[in-house]
Amino acid sequence: MEKSLEFRNIEKLFPGVRALGGVNFTARGGRVTAILGENGAGKSTLLKVMNGDLKPDSGALYINGVEQHFESPDDAIKAGISVIYQERQLFPLLSVAENLFPGQLPKTKLGLFDKKKLMADAQAIIDKFGLKIDPRDMVGMLPVAYQQMVEIMKAYRRDSDVVAFDESTAPLTDSEIAILFDYIRELKAAGKVVLYVSHRMNELFEICDDVVVMKDGQYVKSFEVANCTEADLIKAMVGRDIGDTYSNLKRNDKFGEVLLELKDVRTLAIRDVSFQVRAGEIIGLAGLVGAGRTETARAIFGADPLLGGEVWLEGNKLTLRSPKDAIDAGIFLCPEDRQMQGLVMWRSIKENIAMPSIDKLSKGIFVDYKAVEDLADEAVAAFDIKTPDNDKIVGQLSGGNQQKVILGRWINSKVNTKVLILDEPTKGIDVGTKAEIYKLICDLACRGMAVILISSELPEVINLADRIIVMHNGHITGTVDRADATEESVLRLAMLD
Amino acid sequence: MIKKIVKKKEFTLVVLLLLINLVLGILGIIFKQPFFSMSTYKNILISLPNFAFLSIGAGCLLIGGNMDLAASTVGCFSGVIIANLYHLGVPWFLCIIIALIVSCIFGFIDGTLVTKYRMPAFIATLGVSYVVRGISYLFSAACAGGQAGNMNFKSEQIQWIAKYKPVAKLPVIIFIMFVLFIIYGILISKTRFGMKMKLVGGNPEAARLAGINSRKIAMILFINCNFCAGLAGWYNAAKTGQGALTALSTAQFTGLTAAIIGGISFGGGEGGMFGAFIGLLILQSFQVGMNILGINPYFYTTFSGLLLIIALGVDFITARGKVAVKPKAKAKEVRHV
Repeated sequence: MEKSLEFRNIEKLFPGVRALGGVNFTARGGRVTAILGENGAGKSTLLKVMNGDLKPDSGALYINGVEQHFESPDDAIKAGISVIYQERQLFPLLSVAENLFPGQLPKTKLGLFDKKKLMADAQAIIDKFGLKIDPRDMVGMLPVAYQQMVEIMKAYRRDSDVVAFDESTAPLTDSEIAILFDYIRELKAAGKVVLYVSHRMNELFEICDDVVVMKDGQYVKSFEVANCTEADLIKAMVGRDIGDTYSNLKRNDKFGEVLLELKDVRTLAIRDVSFQVRAGEIIGLAGLVGAGRTETARAIFGADPLLGGEVWLEGNKLTLRSPKDAIDAGIFLCPEDRQMQGLVMWRSIKENIAMPSIDKLSKGIFVDYKAVEDLADEAVAAFDIKTPDNDKIVGQLSGGNQQKVILGRWINSKVNTKVLILDEPTKGIDVGTKAEIYKLICDLACRGMAVILISSELPEVINLADRIIVMHNGHITGTVDRADATEESVLRLAMLD
Repeated sequence: MIKKIVKKKEFTLVVLLLLINLVLGILGIIFKQPFFSMSTYKNILISLPNFAFLSIGAGCLLIGGNMDLAASTVGCFSGVIIANLYHLGVPWFLCIIIALIVSCIFGFIDGTLVTKYRMPAFIATLGVSYVVRGISYLFSAACAGGQAGNMNFKSEQIQWIAKYKPVAKLPVIIFIMFVLFIIYGILISKTRFGMKMKLVGGNPEAARLAGINSRKIAMILFINCNFCAGLAGWYNAAKTGQGALTALSTAQFTGLTAAIIGGISFGGGEGGMFGAFIGLLILQSFQVGMNILGINPYFYTTFSGLLLIIALGVDFITARGKVAVKPKAKAKEVRHV
């Protein structure tokens, strides 16, 4: 019988976000099915549901027509599913061999662990892939590409009927990608179900047979690779409304003096980062995950210590010992991870808004709660935060409203915003609020603020930024002006070594 | 207005306190033991200071998102210092000042381990508590000339807080306790330090990225917690006239339990002193009440443990349950949507 994997009406809700809303499709055995979509389209969540890591709120998974319910990833593995995640799930302090056989170490007749056999078995797998790895090596000491290959070999060793790859090629170099593709072709020949998630279009055309496009947690359309073009796929991925969102924005075209300047800034994660931002300018920081964009923002904000270089604001050199120094100077950051770094989830809206201004909102040692309330009212009105009152716990708001609370904290009458750094401001936010945030970013620039925008969604950066600074591996690989910015031109720099 | 009061956590606590008193009172009538009497409530009142200082200190620290398992040991050491130094002829006020300074130094050490070296508070302060215990034995042995032991002393000035009874035969410590509860209550609910401390307790990283000096606040709270413990040690020594090597060993648990029952969230960032005070009253009503009713005191220990579990459970289900996002695990899930 032909193997198959079917998703039927899979739904998954997160607080404030509908991560998956009725996903329906079937992946057939003997074919490689790509899952394509923008960031936040729900691909990773779908894989987690498939792997038993998350339980769907409704709907079910069918393997070869049989309904499956997983309580844990272990159940999924037993049912014949292997997912190779973007984040490697390895034990860095154990050897390659032990990582390949987690929980299933071979035993001797006495019931003890048979190291000899383990090493031999592991070596056989490594040889099969033609890699130069010693099974005794500690995984954490291997280069990232080899760690990824260990993860892939783990899936091979399990010999599952369904194998899913989530951005597996991201850390690999060409030679390992070739090995991986050989393995995928082998899986295909064996009639197995292969799911393949990747942002790299040319890979899809090289290795995949079918493409399933997802958007905003929903299944959009299926294509056969033989009968479609890249343009078709992008159109399905992006949808139609995006173009409109950007075209109606009121853009600032009068830039002022240089407001912020970085000179050869170096931290543990970035080096030789230099650029200028003028008043009223929107700078986009682009790059792949791990390129050093967030780290650059944290360096400007004083959150990571500078190992070298200088940060200048309005012609003055800043001493950045902590975020407080940056805040006092008028540089504000909306961090990437709202829940862990941006907000105090169990405190009220007003406290979260007043956070950096508490001293200004106090008389002597006492907090002036009337002033706090007024400030919260101001921010709630300015950003249209949907809440019954200012005492509501921030954690009970939707993702979009949470982001607005952070924006309200940094843009109000109590603080003097000069530079605003937005790190992934629209992550996990619905389309409507996204449009509001785009409008806001442009408004801020019109009001003469310098905005630094970091986003993994390339269209966002391309359409909003006046200049795009592209980073790779901790340093700047190039700058693209608004007029020349296309996904290709930015991506080319982002992948430059 | 009334609705707002009823919705507050403290209101529930007061109702709970009254209910417990009512039940104990009725049981008192049934078993013909006088629970409803002046002497009962006086007993409850007099028992409070034993735990109040530890409850204040640990409560503030807990609101700020940390905990200190060494506090009671530091308090015990404080009593040992006072008794032994006094025995060696050191002036009474110096004994007290030295004991309090030493307590603060241990708070500073705890704070450094946790804020600067980022050790988990639970483990770091557990380690410190053993170190302090060891030092207090060594200190006691050195002062007594070889053998560690409980040191008895008699000093009108040092014992003033426990022995001086200005009003209604209540020791002055009770009034000091009330004043401290009020001062700390105002500090937490009305001042900028209090507001910052709740934000730091709720999410230290977010507070830091909003310009609040999280480390400094945590450090102050650690020192304060140990200062309060030092006070508790002084009071305990004054009351018993002894620098006992095992003093306050159960007070840590009672103080912390009172704070948690009183609505100070174990996860940090929530609660206040009024709640902690009511929590303490609830625990002590139990203890004194059971004593009067002649119930086996072992039940009290079992009971306060159960109460702590229930309080933690309620905290989790009500306050935190409404906020769908639990710390790290969920945040990570959302991150990869």
